[in-house]
Formats: sequence, structure tokens, C-alpha cells
Amino acid sequence: MRKVNWRHFDLLLLLATALLVGYGVLMISSAVSDSPGLQELPRRQAVYAGIGAALMLGATLIDYRHLRDFRYPMYFLALGLLVLVLAVGEESYGAQRWVNLRFFPIQPAEIAKILLIIFLAAYFDGRQEEITSFRTFVVSLLFVLPAVALIMAQPNLSTAVSLLVLWGVMAFVAGVRLRYLLGLLAAGVLASPALWALLADYQRQRILIFLNPSSDSMANYNVWQAMIGIGSGGLLGKGFAMGSQSQLRFLRVRWSDFIFAVIGEELGFIGVLILVALLLVVVLRLLRGAIRARDMMGQLIAVGVATLILFQSVVNIGMNIGMLPATGVPLPFVSSGGSSLIAFLMAEGLVQSVNLRRLKVEYPLASRVGGSIP
Amino acid sequence: MKDPLAKLNGVSETPVHAVLRIRILQIAAVLLFGVLLALVGRMQIFQRDYYAQLANRMRFREIALPAQRGVMYDRRGELLVRNVPSFAVTVVPADLPDDPAARARVIRRLVELLHIQDDSWIVPPYRQGGAGSPANWEAQALAESLRRREGRRDPITYLTELLEEAEALAPYQPVVIRSGVDRDVAFTIEEERLYLPGVQVTVQPQRSYPAGELMAHLLGYMGPIPRELRETYISQGYAPTDQVGLAGLELQYEAELRGVKGRKTIEVDVAGREVRTIGEITPPTPGNNLVLSIDLALQRATEQLLAKALQQAKSPSGVAIAMNPQNGEVLAMVSLPGYDNNLFAGGIKPEDYERLNADERRPLVNHAIMGQYPPGSTFKIVPAAGGLQEGVITPRTLIRCDGIMYVPNQYFPDDPTKAQPFYCWIHKYGHGHGAIALEEAIVQSCDIFFYQVAGGFQDFAGLGLERLASYAHAFGFGELTGIDLPGEVRGLVPTAQWKRLNYSESWVKGDTYNMAIGQGFVLATPLQVVNAFAAIANGGSLYQPHVVRQIVDAEGRVVQEVGPQLIRRLPVEESYIREIQRGLEQAVERGTGRQAALQGIHVAGKTGTAEFPGKRDAKGNLPTHAWFVAYAPAENPEIAVVVFIYGGGEGSSVAAPVAGEILSAYFGVPRLYSGE
Repeated sequence: MRKVNWRHFDLLLLLATALLVGYGVLMISSAVSDSPGLQELPRRQAVYAGIGAALMLGATLIDYRHLRDFRYPMYFLALGLLVLVLAVGEESYGAQRWVNLRFFPIQPAEIAKILLIIFLAAYFDGRQEEITSFRTFVVSLLFVLPAVALIMAQPNLSTAVSLLVLWGVMAFVAGVRLRYLLGLLAAGVLASPALWALLADYQRQRILIFLNPSSDSMANYNVWQAMIGIGSGGLLGKGFAMGSQSQLRFLRVRWSDFIFAVIGEELGFIGVLILVALLLVVVLRLLRGAIRARDMMGQLIAVGVATLILFQSVVNIGMNIGMLPATGVPLPFVSSGGSSLIAFLMAEGLVQSVNLRRLKVEYPLASRVGGSIP
Repeated sequence: MKDPLAKLNGVSETPVHAVLRIRILQIAAVLLFGVLLALVGRMQIFQRDYYAQLANRMRFREIALPAQRGVMYDRRGELLVRNVPSFAVTVVPADLPDDPAARARVIRRLVELLHIQDDSWIVPPYRQGGAGSPANWEAQALAESLRRREGRRDPITYLTELLEEAEALAPYQPVVIRSGVDRDVAFTIEEERLYLPGVQVTVQPQRSYPAGELMAHLLGYMGPIPRELRETYISQGYAPTDQVGLAGLELQYEAELRGVKGRKTIEVDVAGREVRTIGEITPPTPGNNLVLSIDLALQRATEQLLAKALQQAKSPSGVAIAMNPQNGEVLAMVSLPGYDNNLFAGGIKPEDYERLNADERRPLVNHAIMGQYPPGSTFKIVPAAGGLQEGVITPRTLIRCDGIMYVPNQYFPDDPTKAQPFYCWIHKYGHGHGAIALEEAIVQSCDIFFYQVAGGFQDFAGLGLERLASYAHAFGFGELTGIDLPGEVRGLVPTAQWKRLNYSESWVKGDTYNMAIGQGFVLATPLQVVNAFAAIANGGSLYQPHVVRQIVDAEGRVVQEVGPQLIRRLPVEESYIREIQRGLEQAVERGTGRQAALQGIHVAGKTGTAEFPGKRDAKGNLPTHAWFVAYAPAENPEIAVVVFIYGGGEGSSVAAPVAGEILSAYFGVPRLYSGE
């Protein structure tokens, strides 16, 4: 094993992440401050953050390149987890997304996403020579589709879509021919009427409601309450634990899916600005790690993790402001929920592992682009 | 393709185009977050006022403060309606514990505390009209039929499923689990509220009627707003969940009793629970109280006497009304069978309602004003008054009664075999009344006398249908009396045209004969009958009967005094009314009404024995309703009474004694012939 260089540990990434998690715990405690039954949540979130931090350190120490050898076990573990949810999962809000371990319920899909990132990174890395072949494109897609199908069966449309986006972006960065990817996208658009038929009723309902908000006031209620909260927050917000929408509980699941609305209402545009800036820093630093990675596997791991965080943030915030359909996508690092937090922290640890193992030269990109040899 | 420079440097394996693609990703991230920020900024900075207004609309609510509903007293100040607190247990599904085990504990405890045996009483939440009462009966009937189909289920399972369903539909809408909960149970739940998250006890006023069945037809009951009248009520300032009067005085005087709601603005949480009050409170104004003309003691005596008579006569239903003939005040009004209006307070159980509704004797109907029956011989005052006033007869005109008279067929006037016989009731004893004048005709209730006065015979010209009908209307038959109770019916005074339309036949002289003795097509309510006699009793003034004599505000100030309201003077000279009065006095003195006579007080009255289509007896006679109408003291009447016994038999032997007993109870004087 090569020596690791701790000088390459991305402190800024860690700092931004820590701030996001802390921000999350703070806002969760505000969100539940008036709900006696939920006082546990912020403390529990802090505990999850601790567990996540430990796992992050562990992932940092592992040489990600060894994971290449375990790519198939990891792939099948991911599928196995998803099958497990369907077999023994608990239903909540009409979907089976949870598996109750002894201590806390976990959402295997969150873990499965990370496993699939590693698998795809390793797969593309192994096929660098034929990366532009149609075969690479098709086979990689065929690996992803079973997982997508299993998640659809839960049913969980948003996670299924996030997997497809993840695959698409990773394939794009790996160098799969753009015309294949665009061709698939075009085919998907053309086939959408057929896909529509495959959706569950509630999924169609949500999309319809999104397209025509006045059609079902009850189902659109949560998003509408979130929008009222955010809009009424103004520039400076109503103050910590002072939001009428949040504190008078017009907002449902305000501690998880709608935590953004609590931030927008209580801390105003300034609070939103800070949140978005922190998320942007995290995504950009992860992509910076990708650029500097030693090999394609490391690069793609970083790209995958960044994509997932970017995608989920956009979808969650977009839902909160009524711009995207209502889905159960949590805001990375901020929403209350152990599985998501721990999975993202672990994934970030992997990217740090990639950082630590990059080549010694500090600014390889400059050297290449600039064309000068140091 | 690999970056040749990178290879040369040995610096990185990252190809240039991969870096470019990652740069594209970075730019995409900046753009996406930038767009989101712009969108949020637009909402928070430029549309802030709009959203702030919406947020205020969410949190501030103007709520109505319920006004205390007015109560009612009898004429002596006896309280007839009370407002009592009623406890309803509701659950806000969203406030239940999330943990399934903890939730199950709450539900189990609730089932235990409420002594819920099965699921029969639970209404699916989306069918509940509003908090406080298990809303409409239709929904309850549905729940009932569901229960029957599925068999009784374990209440814990049922309640759990129901609340899950409710949570999916409207998580913060309270679901009424049970209304009309015992005080002790309500207090226990309040004490345990820390261990019963999501469970609430709400207090609502509920009507309590101490006299129960005795006054139910008069007082009526309250209930949720009927669906078809929703808009009307809401436009008058009612909330959809309000209780309103649905029958009797509760309905008739709704506007007086309801009072004026107060208002206040509160801050609410999502469940609509008050967080604090904002600004000034407009206090509610309590509703006005009603003082009835009913004498509860007389009402009670009347009910008991009528009930006993119904039992003896094996009659399914009957009516007794007592009123003051000088001003139209109703002193007692009993319609049997009755019902307990306390069943309706707090929502009637479906099985109770079904039972009352299915009962053939129609206990929910106030037969005194909603039942229409042939009035029989009580109607004879109409041809008597009309005959005198129109000069058809004088008080001394003699008409011969042979017990039977033959009316020639109008197409074959010379063929006696085609002639139609008309009988006097006395014919069954084998003789007639002989030649008699008006007074004797009333005393003996001679049918042939009144046939001829109304319809004429041979050379003798009678009143004819038109004039008979116009006098019937003058006495208030075929018209609403306008009593202050809802649901009154008109009865029927037929016309020739009415018969053509309904029977496709012409009016014939025989129809006029039948009408003269209150048979045939004519129909009247017991109230119309007693009111017509009250007009005779007081010398010719037809008053509008009424049950409420005073409307009093909450401080006891009289808001409205209901005095005598004259409908019209009878178009009959007072001397002629005197003649009829004399006949009625003599009828009790020595005629068909002797059973109603009192010791020391002169009673005037008239029997009625009205045939109605039904099962004939062994001798082939039709069944008859028994009627008796009376007033006393004859010289200066202060009370008029009608007794009607459905299918009771002879008015003289069945109804007259009851009227006598009622008068006896009123005057405190024994009956003259009570031994007979």
C-alpha cells in the first residue's frame, strides 16, 4: 500500500459538512421544540452524526482501490438489501422503505446507493479501454436496472430516478459516448407514455397534482404550507423557533423532508443563503477531489457522491418551494434521519480516502493545462 | 483517449476531457443552486407580503363564541328545557404516538374507559358532519349496515384502522369517538390526558327535557343541520357543525332561542387549538326564553287520561287538546303515542331512530296538528250555523226523521227501486227521531236533519255544497289555524272540482249529505275541530291558537307578549250562535254527551262517531273514530277540549268520558255520571 498523505485531507470539505450537520441538528431542535413527543430527535441526530463521523474516518483510512476486488459482492449486497426491504420491510406512509434492525430502523436504499457508486466506479474503471463501446454503455445500464426496478417496487420513484441520474452522470464523466446517453434520454422521453402506465397510482397522482396544483388541496397541503412558511420568512426570518408555520405545526414532517421550509421561515433568505452556500462548497470540493484523483475509480467515486448530494439537494429544495413534485427525498446532512446522514458521511469518507491517495504534486491540473513542466 | 501531457508528466491518469466534464458538473451545480436561490429569493423578498398574509390567515382565526340557547317554561314557570353540559371524546390522529405499541396502548385504554363493546356506534370520519354529535342518521345507518354485514369486530382493531384512515385523510381533524360521555368518564380521561396523547374531551351544551315524552311533540328536538338546508342555515350565520331545532318549538322559535354568537380572534395551531386570544372579545348574547301557555299539570293529567282511554279502547293513537276559547291559548296538547325527545339530544342512536320511524302508529308525528280525520258529527255545527244564517231554517223549523230517507236516482226519478237510501244513526234501533227542530237535532245528533239542511230534500232547498263549504272555511276547516308549531296540515273541505279531479266523478247530492255529518270527503285535524268549537263558545271569534304566550329575554324582560290573535269573526249572527250553544249545552245535559257532564258546572259539547275505511265488524259496520268536543263553563267558557280516539268506537261512550275527566281535572270538580 502506498503511503497516504494527510496533507491532502480536504479540511474545507469536512468543515462545510460539519457546519451542515450542526445546522441540521439546530433546526431540527427548533422544528420539534413545541412537540413534546419528538424531543428525542435532535439528540438522536447528533448521535447519528457521531456514528457517521466514526464511519467516515474508517472509510478514509480504507484504501478505496481495494474495494475494486469486492465490486461484485458489493453489487449483490446492494441488490440483497433492496430485496430484504421488500421481504421484511415495514410500511410507512404507504411504502416499504424501512428495515427494523434491533436498534434503529434503517433505509437500505441509502446504503445501496453508496454501494452502487463504488460498483459503477470500479466497473467503468475496469473498462477504460472500451469505455466508448456500446457494450460498456449497455452492460453498465443493465447492472443498474435491477436496482432501479427493486426500488420502484417499494415503491419509491424519487430514489429510482436518482439512481438513473447517478448512473448517467458517472457514465458521462467516465467517457461513455454522449450520443448513447442522449439517445437513451430521447428514447425515455418518447417512451414516457408507456412508463406512465407502469407507475403506481399514487405516483401518477403526485405528478398530476404537481402539474395542476389546485386539483387536490389535501395532497398538496404540505407543499403549500412549506411555501407559505418560506415566503413569509422574508429576508431575515421570523427568528429561531419563532416560525408560525413550523411552530404551530402547519408543516408536517418539518424535521425531515421539510426542514428547508423551517430554515426559510425562521432564518429567512440569509439562512437559506448560508445553507445553499455550504451545500455548494461540499459539492464543489467533492468534484475538486474528483479532478485530482489518482485514477478513474477514485474520480468516479467522488463524482458519484457529489452527484447524489447535488441531486437530492435540488430535488428537496425544489419540492419545498413547489417547483418540483412532492417526493420523500431528504436534504443531505440536514434532514433528520440516521440512514441518510450516516450513508452520506461514510461516502464522504471514501472521497477523503481518494484525496489522501492522490499523487504528490499539488496542482497537476495547472501543470497540464498550462503545459509547463515543473 | 489519454492526455499525452499527463502521461509525459507521470502526474495523473485523469484525462483532460474527464476534467472538462467534471468542470461542466461544477458549473451545473453552481447554476442549479443559483437558480434555486433566485427562486427562494423571489418568494422571500418580492412575494413576502403575499405569503405573510397567507401565514396570518393560517394562524389567526376568527371564532364564534356560542350563545346560550334560550329555555322554555310552562305557564306557571315550570322549567321544560335545560341546557346541560355534554362531553364528547375526540381523537386528533396526528397527535397520537408514532410508536405503534404506544398508540395501541392509548387506543386500548380509550376502549376500556368508554366501555366500547363493539363497533356499532362508530361513524367513519369522512362521514361525520361535525364535532359533538355523530352527525347524520344516514351515515349512521350506513355504519350500522356495514356492521351487520361484517359481523361485530374487535373494537380495538376497528378503532385502530379507523384512525389510520382518518390520519391519511385529514390528520389534524378531530374524530369524534363518542359523544354524550358520562361525566365521570370524561373526568377520568382528563386526569389521564398525559398518558393519552391525541385524546381530547370537548364540552358542549346539550338539551335536556325533564318532562320527556309528555312534552316531546310540543318542544320538539334539536340535531345537526339537515344537508339539504345547509346553505340556508349557513347564510344565516350558522356554522356547519351547529345544532339547530328540527321539530316542535325548538324549530318554530329557532330564531328567538338561538341568541347571537360572540366573536373573538385567536391564534391557532394546525389542529385549530387555541394558542392565545388576540384583541377584543365580542361577548355572545343569550337566546330568549319562551313562556308557554301550556299548563304542565293539566298536560300530565290529560296524557294519563288519554293513555288510559286508548288502552281500554285498544286504540293505536289519539289526541286530546285543551285551549282557552277566549284567546286561543293552548293549555294542553297530547298526541299519543309519543316519544322521548331526550333520545335526540346528543345525537339519536340509529336503532332508536329506525324504531320510531318504523312504528306504524307514527309516534314522531303530532297527530293534533298533522293528523287529518273525518270529523264526524262534530262538523254539524257548520250546517247548523250556515242553515240559520242563510235562512234555510229557523230555530223552529221542524224536519221529519224516519230513520231512513230515499233519494231518487237522478236519471230515473220515478223508479223507487233505483232510489238511494240515507240513514240516521238511530235507524239501527228501528225508529227515527220524528219531527224535530235544530236544538233537538243537535242534542240527538240527528243525521237526517242535517242531511236536509245541507243538501235539501224534495221541495225543501238546502244550503248546497258551495255555501256549506264557505261556512266550513269560515270555521277554519280546510285552512291552517296558524298555530306556532311546525308541520300543521290543512285538512280538506272538498269542492265539486276537487272531486272531478280526484275521482273523475261529478258531485252528487249524496256527497253533500255525507259532508254535512262530517263524513265522506271532509277531513279535519283535532286542532281545527276544537278551534271551531272555541269560536262557538266565545260567541263567534275564531282565534289563532298558540302555544307560546310570552317571549322573555335572558334578564327576564318581556320581549313580546302574545295576545289573542283574531283570525275572523264568524259570519253568523250572535243569536244564531246562541241557538247552537243551547243545543250543545243540552247535548251534555240530556243527549249524547252526558258522560262529559260535571257537578255544578255546565258543560256544552258534541259527540262525533266518524266512520273510516277499515275492517268491518261482525255486523258489517265500518270502524269508527270516537270524537268529543266540549267547552265549559257554558255561560262563560274558559276551556275548550277535544278528545279524539283513533278507531275508538262511539264518541258518546269512549271520548266523552275522557273529555269529562279532563274538565274535571281542570276545574277540580267531579263528573256527574262518573259511576255509569
